[in-house]
Amino acid sequence: MDDTARADLDGFRAEVRRWCREHVPADWRGAETGVSEAEFAAFQQHWFRELRQAGYAVPHWPAEWGGGMSTAEQIVLYQELAAHDAPRLVLAFVAIHHAAATLLAAGTDDQRRRHLPAILDGEIWVQGFSEPEAGSDLASLRTSARRDGHHFVVNGQKLWASGGMHADWCLLLARTDPTAPKRAGISYFLMDMRSPGVDVRPIRNAIGDSHFCEIFLDDVVIPEANLIGPENQGWQVAQATLGAERGLTMLELSERLGNAGFRWLVEACRRADATGRRPIDDPVVQDRLAALETEVTGLRSLCRGLVERHEAGTPRPAEASVVKLFYSELLQRLTDFGAEIGGLDAHTVLHKPMSSGWESGAWMLDFIGSWEWTIPGGSSEIQRTIIGERGLGLPREPG
Amino acid sequence: MASEFSGFHDELRAVARAVLGAVPADSPIDWEVVAGSGWAGLEVPERLDGAGVTFAEVAVILEELGRCAALSPYLGSVALGIGALSLVEPDAGRDGLLRSIAAGDTVVAVAVGEDGGAGFRVERSVEGRLTLRGSMPFVADAPVAQRLLLVATGWAAGDDPAPPSPGGVAEATTRGLAGDTPVLVELNRSAARPSITDQPVLDATRRFGIVVADGVEVKQAQIRRFVGDPHVATGRLRDRATLAVALDSLGIGEAMLAATVAYAKVREQFGRPIGSFQAVKHACADMLVQLTIARELCDAAVERVACDLPDASAAVAMAKSYTCAAAVGIAGAAMQLHGGIGYTWESGIHRFLKRAALNRALFGSAAEHRRRIAARYR
Repeated sequence: MDDTARADLDGFRAEVRRWCREHVPADWRGAETGVSEAEFAAFQQHWFRELRQAGYAVPHWPAEWGGGMSTAEQIVLYQELAAHDAPRLVLAFVAIHHAAATLLAAGTDDQRRRHLPAILDGEIWVQGFSEPEAGSDLASLRTSARRDGHHFVVNGQKLWASGGMHADWCLLLARTDPTAPKRAGISYFLMDMRSPGVDVRPIRNAIGDSHFCEIFLDDVVIPEANLIGPENQGWQVAQATLGAERGLTMLELSERLGNAGFRWLVEACRRADATGRRPIDDPVVQDRLAALETEVTGLRSLCRGLVERHEAGTPRPAEASVVKLFYSELLQRLTDFGAEIGGLDAHTVLHKPMSSGWESGAWMLDFIGSWEWTIPGGSSEIQRTIIGERGLGLPREPG
Repeated sequence: MASEFSGFHDELRAVARAVLGAVPADSPIDWEVVAGSGWAGLEVPERLDGAGVTFAEVAVILEELGRCAALSPYLGSVALGIGALSLVEPDAGRDGLLRSIAAGDTVVAVAVGEDGGAGFRVERSVEGRLTLRGSMPFVADAPVAQRLLLVATGWAAGDDPAPPSPGGVAEATTRGLAGDTPVLVELNRSAARPSITDQPVLDATRRFGIVVADGVEVKQAQIRRFVGDPHVATGRLRDRATLAVALDSLGIGEAMLAATVAYAKVREQFGRPIGSFQAVKHACADMLVQLTIARELCDAAVERVACDLPDASAAVAMAKSYTCAAAVGIAGAAMQLHGGIGYTWESGIHRFLKRAALNRALFGSAAEHRRRIAARYR
């Protein structure tokens, strides 16, 4: 990086800092603790509009669609948002990452024009992938989409659809050829959640939140124009777009972990207990903090490299899986340590602020919530299999 | 800066891997080959017949030497020796030694504490005679070095510009002894002193010596001053040495993962390659994940050391503590996943495991480096 670029970046950092001081609501953590799903959704929509007006909502999108920030600028943006304890975009996450990446990679011009500006106006998306009988073995999904002229008629059940009750649209995988081998008969659809026959029911998760949903599909009609990619090649389209995308979303999360999560952990360790003792004065605590900082530092560096390689068109095999696996388990170790440091007091925090990061400082809830990383989106076991087979070329299991 | 040189690095790595790969295991690397390939003088200025590049290129060689658990004095002569000489005030003698190391004519070893501290003191007698006392164990490559560079404290030229007056004997002696300014003392081995005792270790791919100086007479010309703050300079020397060991472990980890994956693809049990079993596959995946993080930490530290950035020490501490611990785990997993054959002397995996475990202890344990990282939290 030359001096001009560095000066530009410093200027951008100052701009983001100023913006954060003026726009991050001072009391949002308290105000968003224990709120209803509707209040959460309203706050998320408000925060998305604020970021969008500043040009910070979709920095990773191509410039022609409203993004266009360099990797270095994105890192600065995410660092400052985390350091100023800004709320996270939770509800828009699937829309701005997964839906947008899918539309940009495999969508038609009409589909992009229809949805990308709408996402900027607040359109919420949900993933309809998993099913009761198709979790880690996603390709065995049974939801059927039967062609009827220029439409498809969809029947089945989707599970673990995060944010489903707020969603306007769904990225849906359904079986269009029941006779083909399991990966060959799947198609990928954009489904309007307001279509007749769509029924969404929330499921309560381990920390007590209800943002996971079941989606029941009963003779839902999807026009052929909402097929994304070729018919029966939905599995390949989803694999190509989502694998890479999962890695790219980690840039924000790793900066959040470094600039919010780890810093708060150090602060927690500096706080004196009733007897005046500070955990940080214990060499064992120091040792574990240093080990965690080392891992966070490695992760941040890896995420930056992954985004740069993605932009250069030189990704390493399975690196998105490496990042997802390492982040998930590091988040679990870090929040576990936070809960340990927090002691009994950590157990008296019954609610975490909605719209916060995965490390909110409510360490016990964060720790329990970390399984939302090690299980969904391809469990840690599935990621290790992907790394072994695609990253190292080890043979598949027979059968 | 990494991308600027990545083409050159790839080429350097490919050549090093080809050359080193041709050396049979358990055989020392021919030092003439190392020097002849230009690897000894990578950082030496071009006017002294070196390549005039940076530690980032030395890092490539260090990793490749670890990858084949090479027996070679590269750590002592290049990582430490050229590093130390680059930190002292230049003169014709220093330049001559740099040229000689680059050419492969002289092998040096450096006696410096794992915290950058000095194990020796220079004392000045009433008559102005300079003597060296002290000792340092585990001096890498000392048994094969022709020249020794020792970090010492005490009297140094210029400390006491006025010659001691007949009445000021006590004062002058005290003055000389009280100095704690680190300097670099250059000793020729041929003088039969100081004594260097072989210090055999389980890892047969490394050579260490205990260096003892018991009143060795030195001349002013043998004492070199560090440029700038000498404590900063010895800190930088320590960082280089520490990172060199981390890079060696990175290479060990890479070699052990590659060997394990290759074996798991061909070794069959229960009618199929063992690499198709989840237990084996997932263990290999964990090795790759750890190595990926280790490489990120090492790359970041190399860039900071090569460019002499202020946060280099913390980056080096992270790279060393993580990589050296990971390499022991990876070499251990490699022995486990190779099964019975992995435990044989013949397989050679023990060489990597011993070297990785030695690296973990060399130039500061993981716990010591984490203590340095944690000092920033107070």
